[in-house]
Amino acid sequence: MFGKSDKAADLAGEVTDHTAIQGRSLWRDALDRFLRNKAAMACVFVLGLIVVFVVFGPLLAQWSNEEIDWSRMGDIVRDGRPNIENGHYFGLDELGRDLYARVIQATRTSLLVGLIGAAMALILGTAYGVIAGFYGGRLDAGMMRFVDILLAIPTTLIIILILVVAGRSFITLFIALGAVSWLTMSRIVRAQTLTLKTREFIEAARAGGVSEGAIIVRHILPNLLGVVIVYASLLVPEMILAESFISFLGLGIAEPNTSLGRLIAEGAGTMAYGTLWQLLFPLFFYVTIIITMFFIGDGLRDALDPKDR
Amino acid sequence: MFAYIVKRLLGAIPTLLFLVVAAFFMMHMAPGGPFTSERKLPPEVLANIEAQYGLDQPLWKQLWDYVTGIVLHFDFGPSFRYKDRDVNDIIAQGFPISLTYGTLSFIVATLIGVSLGIAAAIRHNSWIDYFAVSLGIVAQALPNFIMGPILILTFTLWLGWLPGGGWNGGQWQYLIMPVIALSTSYMGNIARLTRSSMLEVLNSNFIRTARAKGLPARSVIWRHAMKPTLLPVISYLGPVFVYVLTGSVFVDLYFSTGGLGQSYVNSALTRDYAVLLGVTILYGALTIFVNLLTDLAYAWFDPKMRY
Repeated sequence: MFGKSDKAADLAGEVTDHTAIQGRSLWRDALDRFLRNKAAMACVFVLGLIVVFVVFGPLLAQWSNEEIDWSRMGDIVRDGRPNIENGHYFGLDELGRDLYARVIQATRTSLLVGLIGAAMALILGTAYGVIAGFYGGRLDAGMMRFVDILLAIPTTLIIILILVVAGRSFITLFIALGAVSWLTMSRIVRAQTLTLKTREFIEAARAGGVSEGAIIVRHILPNLLGVVIVYASLLVPEMILAESFISFLGLGIAEPNTSLGRLIAEGAGTMAYGTLWQLLFPLFFYVTIIITMFFIGDGLRDALDPKDR
Repeated sequence: MFAYIVKRLLGAIPTLLFLVVAAFFMMHMAPGGPFTSERKLPPEVLANIEAQYGLDQPLWKQLWDYVTGIVLHFDFGPSFRYKDRDVNDIIAQGFPISLTYGTLSFIVATLIGVSLGIAAAIRHNSWIDYFAVSLGIVAQALPNFIMGPILILTFTLWLGWLPGGGWNGGQWQYLIMPVIALSTSYMGNIARLTRSSMLEVLNSNFIRTARAKGLPARSVIWRHAMKPTLLPVISYLGPVFVYVLTGSVFVDLYFSTGGLGQSYVNSALTRDYAVLLGVTILYGALTIFVNLLTDLAYAWFDPKMRY
């Protein structure tokens, strides 16, 4: 019946010749939406420029962030102005150190603080929230009660406490930021896990005999990713804000390392003497970073959370 | 409602206890102390000083004395730095100042933020809407410690209108800049929140019904749209209060207003753990209290809420 005829072969060829239409994944959709968001894309570009500046800027620096320019420190107001010729592109700070090198170092600190703080929140908060939400019951009640207690304490005060008690260094700073940033994340993840847990595909996985660990890793976590990424991206600028606030008070990382908050504080302390550049350069970088990051976070939310538009 | 309040009040107790105990142990784990100085004290003298402050007692005894002191006499103990002042004196001196400008900032941020948000939502896509939206965006990059220098630069150094710091018994000239610095960023956030909430409410079915039955726009907005609009704003007031509290740390330092924040930073830098502990606990307790108040307000405002 199915004799080999040329006609049938042609027909078969024609039928199977169409490449199957690629399904559009949720991620693909989200990426498209994000790429179409002009404000967010512009911010990605600007932030990219700042990152490039932080990475390659030191190559152009003629002074380190610790050296003091003895020949010019006598009269900062007159000799310390931003000047291309003598290598102090951003001028000098109050002690005669090169502001260009210091701004680069401070921007790097702030960016790192934001990323690491958010990353810690992401890992800790997700793990905690998934466990509480997935296993539920008394474990969940206890774990969430603990989070509620910690959330009731002003976070900035906790960070200051930890820094004072454990000493001021990069490591303690990251630990302190991580210690406060995961709390809200864990609540969001828990709530999301609770709704996911009752869905049919989890039921199906259970019925099929998939182990609990595998359900969490293969089915819960991927579905949490969107929410988690959105919240973490909004957390980055918040971490930078918190760190800058503490640095502004002089309780952040110790010299010669510095952060944007500290530089702004120094600039604000000396602006009465007419050395405005000491305030404006760090302020410019700070405001740019914060605004671009919030726009990117908003863009990610619009892209990944289709119901909220 | 009453049972709900009692339940929430009782629920706050373990939180407070946890805060006290955790802060207490953190302080005592810290290496060094207020009496470690460059000039080495003879061991006998150090032992005497420690006995004076009860630091020679076992830790659990110290904790017990500390907690009972707070609970029974509202006494936070002596300062480790100032011989003639205890923590209560420091709090009594600084707290009224912080409370004054803190409350003012809270009120200013809420009132102006909410009015701006509502005006923006009612006149959607008008200049006031664009203003509220841009303020909301810019506000995120203008926290207190950025606003402070900008304000002083403008109003003190360039225009010479306002004094650059000090308190002077809370005269209005001295209050303006701290209040603006503290309230701007949250004013923007509240305006944004109110605007989006109001827009959502105005698009909902019950508002359409109210309009359809011929109610004037004014009473549609005030009688029907207001309550649901304010719900998310109310739940945001707790964080605003915390922000104002911690912001006071900045204001006191930068504007030399002499409030509690100044003592906090000074004690953090000089390791005066007694003051640090006292202020942390006070701020923590206030935060818990305000969270409780906002929850109650929320329960009162939200018809769907069950206690």
